[in-house]
Amino acid sequence: MKKTLLIVIIAVLAFGVLNAETKLKMELWNRWTYAMEDGEVTENEMALKRGYLRLEPKFTGKIKGRFNLDFYSSDSNSDAAGVGIKLKYAYLDFSELLPVANSKVTIGLMKTYFGTIYDWDYTTIDKDPSDKYKFVSSTDYGLGFGGYLPNGMGTYNLAAYNGEGYKKVGDNINKDMNFVANLRVTPIVGVTVGGSYMMKTKNDSQIDDGTGEMIDNPDRIQYNMMAGVGKLAFGKFSLLAQYLNKITTMPNMDGSEDETETVISLLPVFKVNNQFDIIGRYDINDPNTDAENDAETTITAGFNYHILRDSKNNPKLFVQTNYQMVQPEDEDANSESELAIQLRWIFSETINKK
Amino acid sequence: MKKTIVILALLSLFVMPIFARGDQITISGSTTVLPIAQATAEVFMDNNPEINISVRGGGSSVGIAGIMAGTVDIGDASRHIKAKELAKARESGINPVENVVANDGIAIVVHKNNSVKNLTLQQIQDIYTGKISNWKEIGGPKLPIVVISRDVSSGTFEVFNVMALKKMQQVDSALMLASNNAVVSTISTTPGAIGYAGLGYITGNVNVVKVNDITPTKRTIQSKEYPIARTLHMYTNGNPKGLVKQYIDFVLSPEGQKIVEEQGFISVK
Repeated sequence: MKKTLLIVIIAVLAFGVLNAETKLKMELWNRWTYAMEDGEVTENEMALKRGYLRLEPKFTGKIKGRFNLDFYSSDSNSDAAGVGIKLKYAYLDFSELLPVANSKVTIGLMKTYFGTIYDWDYTTIDKDPSDKYKFVSSTDYGLGFGGYLPNGMGTYNLAAYNGEGYKKVGDNINKDMNFVANLRVTPIVGVTVGGSYMMKTKNDSQIDDGTGEMIDNPDRIQYNMMAGVGKLAFGKFSLLAQYLNKITTMPNMDGSEDETETVISLLPVFKVNNQFDIIGRYDINDPNTDAENDAETTITAGFNYHILRDSKNNPKLFVQTNYQMVQPEDEDANSESELAIQLRWIFSETINKK
Repeated sequence: MKKTIVILALLSLFVMPIFARGDQITISGSTTVLPIAQATAEVFMDNNPEINISVRGGGSSVGIAGIMAGTVDIGDASRHIKAKELAKARESGINPVENVVANDGIAIVVHKNNSVKNLTLQQIQDIYTGKISNWKEIGGPKLPIVVISRDVSSGTFEVFNVMALKKMQQVDSALMLASNNAVVSTISTTPGAIGYAGLGYITGNVNVVKVNDITPTKRTIQSKEYPIARTLHMYTNGNPKGLVKQYIDFVLSPEGQKIVEEQGFISVK
């Protein structure tokens, strides 16, 4: 499987680089993390946490692709010394394939259009809420249709996915499709509201029986997931608010009860100037609304300092500093704190300009 | 530990530069609009010595990105803002307003000695996509065609790509140049060359061919009869106010529009 994948990647990259106008982009995250729990240091690490190599070949004015290799992923199935390489994106966009203005059809290993995961730019070092709390995978194999509403009023997406994300390979994979609908509307400049719905079913061969024991799956697990998104942006201040809800049902499992998980996330940003942003984040995650003392609150404060930007004001080199506290609802559990300082640097170039 | 972090965060606030701007207007963007912005800014500053206007090029994408980031007061663009840019801007609290400051025709330019005087839009598309590769195929000299185009960040390229090429992929051998001046200059010294440039950049060293039997003139461009006609824009965040309004009002005034015409472009009215 890996060999086949490698051959496909090399063939596609070679074709893209040699024959089409191609944008190359590399991004690297160097991070120092200092974490404590109950007064004890639990982590003191300097690492190259992540790297992305991206190729965006433009085959014609209406067809372009994106191929992303994800290095140094947090994936636990790393090959050696914590280093993993995975294909994260491999999709083709066909603009205006259907007779709808400003629309596109996307095919391949593509973005998951749920909540804010598809346009999350890591204003905080931490992941997007639906990624962090494992509602959805950031990319998955699928087929999508999406575009822009007239007059910049918003965006919409419809997609069907394989259902396993980009990390899972092997035999124990989901055989059911997932479906997602996403709409984001900006009726007034600076005021955005939106929502996503994902219907997901899984039929893994093994599941957790609720006590940590893996048992044969008697039937399937069904997830109904919803994201509500609100964003305010006025002058130097912006606030991104998100509510996530996941209802898990095991319809054919005797004695099982539905579980509901919720997340509330707030992300205020104050842009002091084009170089310096003050950021905060407040997450409440309740994994099971029927269970007691299982929720936790995460509070983050920090800043982003942009050292270099390109001619289009995209970041090229910047420092992120985040201080994060995790407070469990359970009073007997220890709270955790973490200081992370991250240097992100990005370079990009377009070759074979046509 | 927590106290140290708070102190460091507060200290860092004070060391970050926060620039205050006085009577200054910053403009960047399209290289096509650049001569209009430069010439009008010079006269405007002569009339208003207390006001300083900084004008830079970079391309239409850079101008619109500057407006979206709030780093410039005016973003020049020789194309309309894209749906993607508009949606992103509105979501970020930016309201890009398009101020049309001039009309322009994208002239199709060949070498002075080339006998071809007219091309259809289809022939232009065929030349740029490689279907026609020698001038003799369209009644010209027996000479290979050298295709000259603009870099992809250029608004002129965007407009030509949509209006003339219908987004078809250009031939691999196309020479991509960074400015209108470079296109005209290269064609003047390359017998088989064909290229395109804003009307304001045309010199006597090259020939302008008709498109669908229509010559790019003030009348045919204002009436949009010429097939590759466009408007030139100065984008602002919201309707122009204060100094920016004063400047754009000047560009649109009879005096400003006279400068537009002196630069080789077509006035709005």
